[in-house]
Amino acid sequence: MTGGLQRVASTVLLVVVSFMLTALILWVSGYRVGTVLSGIIQGSITATGAATSTIRWTIPLLLIGLGVVIGFRAGFFNIGGQGQFYVGACSALVVSLGWREGPVPLVIMCGMIAAILAGMAWSLLPGYLRVQFGTDEVLTTLMMSFIGALVLQYLTAGPLRNPSGTGQTAASERIPEAFRITDSSGVSVTALLLVGGVAVLVWLLLERTRFGLTMTLVGRNPTMARWQGIDVRRVGLGTFALSGALSGLAGAVELHGPGARLVTGFSPEVGFTAVVVALVGMLSVWGTVVAAVFFGGLQSAILFLPIVTDLPPPALVLLHGMVAFLVTIKFRAVRRRRAGLAAKPVVG
Amino acid sequence: MEQVLATTLRSAAPLVLVAMAGVFAFRAGIFHLGLEGLMISGAFTTVAIGDATGSVELGILAAIGVCMTLSAVYWWVIGPLGANVIIAGLGLTSIGLGGTAFALGAIFDIRGSMFTDVVLPRPVRGATSGPGVIISEHSILVWITPLIVLVAWIVLRRSRFGLRLAAVGEYPFAARSAGVNPSIVRLQALLISGALCALGGAELSVGALRNFTENMTNGRGFIAFVAVIFGAWHPIGAALAGLFFGFADAIGIQSQINITERVPREFVLMIPFVLTIFAVWLGGLWRRRTLEAEAGYAELREPDY
Repeated sequence: MTGGLQRVASTVLLVVVSFMLTALILWVSGYRVGTVLSGIIQGSITATGAATSTIRWTIPLLLIGLGVVIGFRAGFFNIGGQGQFYVGACSALVVSLGWREGPVPLVIMCGMIAAILAGMAWSLLPGYLRVQFGTDEVLTTLMMSFIGALVLQYLTAGPLRNPSGTGQTAASERIPEAFRITDSSGVSVTALLLVGGVAVLVWLLLERTRFGLTMTLVGRNPTMARWQGIDVRRVGLGTFALSGALSGLAGAVELHGPGARLVTGFSPEVGFTAVVVALVGMLSVWGTVVAAVFFGGLQSAILFLPIVTDLPPPALVLLHGMVAFLVTIKFRAVRRRRAGLAAKPVVG
Repeated sequence: MEQVLATTLRSAAPLVLVAMAGVFAFRAGIFHLGLEGLMISGAFTTVAIGDATGSVELGILAAIGVCMTLSAVYWWVIGPLGANVIIAGLGLTSIGLGGTAFALGAIFDIRGSMFTDVVLPRPVRGATSGPGVIISEHSILVWITPLIVLVAWIVLRRSRFGLRLAAVGEYPFAARSAGVNPSIVRLQALLISGALCALGGAELSVGALRNFTENMTNGRGFIAFVAVIFGAWHPIGAALAGLFFGFADAIGIQSQINITERVPREFVLMIPFVLTIFAVWLGGLWRRRTLEAEAGYAELREPDY
């Protein structure tokens, strides 16, 4: 357990260091760090609607982040969450727009299933290449992610474009109000139950089932897992499928929830931020929940900040980058003890 | 047609420069996903310092300095501090993209684009029609790029350093027994890589254009990385791949004007990504080895000693 505690301590320390470095950059650039900090607290917790907005941004981060956790646990470096999220949202949109007259619960269900399948497909192609031919999944999932972004761009600018739209960025038509599970605040009992349920299911899967144990074993040492008679290919495919499914579902929740329509390049950072969330959450389900709320709060705060200070919003991207840059640093004591989990799944 | 070829050269030059950066890193066994971040930092620094001093040379020198410093920090984080190469690389990209956009707002109080008067010299200009268009109006960096590729090839193929680099990338243990310090060689490779990214970024901002725009690299750093894989991490191969992606980009730009009815631009833009998936897959098949074994990050994953 000391190892676990050390790991928590080192992660927290690295996140704090990342924040301090970013604060230093802000300070050097002439911003009042205190004002920014109080702005962040207001914008994520205390201001009107801030807490709701925090939860709204937590939802996609948590869903995609749990997908990343599943992938990394088994040693598969699926970093294509963004593309899987996009194709998921696109599929849900096609279902909603194509079946406007359908019974509401059924259309929403079908939209989510379509999104899950699309996300799975987007993730299974690199997954299949990986388990069958040993093709490096970092590169293929990244490529699939770019392709997914272009698919979204194509659909919103072409076939699904809202003809009466006047904005500069291409956007699709809105889905009928009835098909939304939340209002534009992005939070409702349905959405929370759905996301909470998914988190509990993922926890059960990872910690309480044979498949979860097998996954962790494969992640720690694929060779040993194979000798133990584990079908590494099957575990790999299952892992990629689940991880893509969660990202796809996040896309559907976004569309049926706060989005209601798709805009070219919406939430451009969410896929990468989810990787940061999973790593800060130390690849554990509850850690990821905490990290998702934390980064969701920051996302919400950055939208609020213009009210109190003129901090440019890209500061948040800088902060995320800083955390990602540093969070996988392994201190010597921790490194020696945990050569297994800390190093392996992350390197893939 | 001449116009397409001219656009191809203009689009390809930054890709090829950054692809050379990727080749050096890749040969050292580093899967460098921070190229995009270094490239945009180079583009920004060139414009910022160039505009402040009025000298494009000083701007480029400063950009090289900034990118080499960032590369050294990246080396420190993934080497001695043992951070994950890929995550830290992606982090570096975000730091570059976020940091430059932030600095644009914080220092110059600008959102979006910053225009500048400094521009790289353009040796051949003035042609308006005929084959002359192909070589006209290119910045000096476009002309130097083939030379850089050639030098990179000679260095990797014929020099002592190139041999050490190959040894470190492929089998660091052997390099170590031959008295080479893999960590230092990796640092050298990353520094070269940083300088090349700075040049690629500079070409983008003051070579082809005269401005810096938030997120102006628009994935070019990743495409350059893809060119490295597609060109089998050989300088000439990567340069040809970069040229091809430049051509795809030029066709994409043209198709906006001409053939949008038939081929949506997005599909043209997908070409490099789809081809890469094929290339990585086939590359793995032919070699009967995984890319992992080839690019290794061999020592970066071994337990420390």
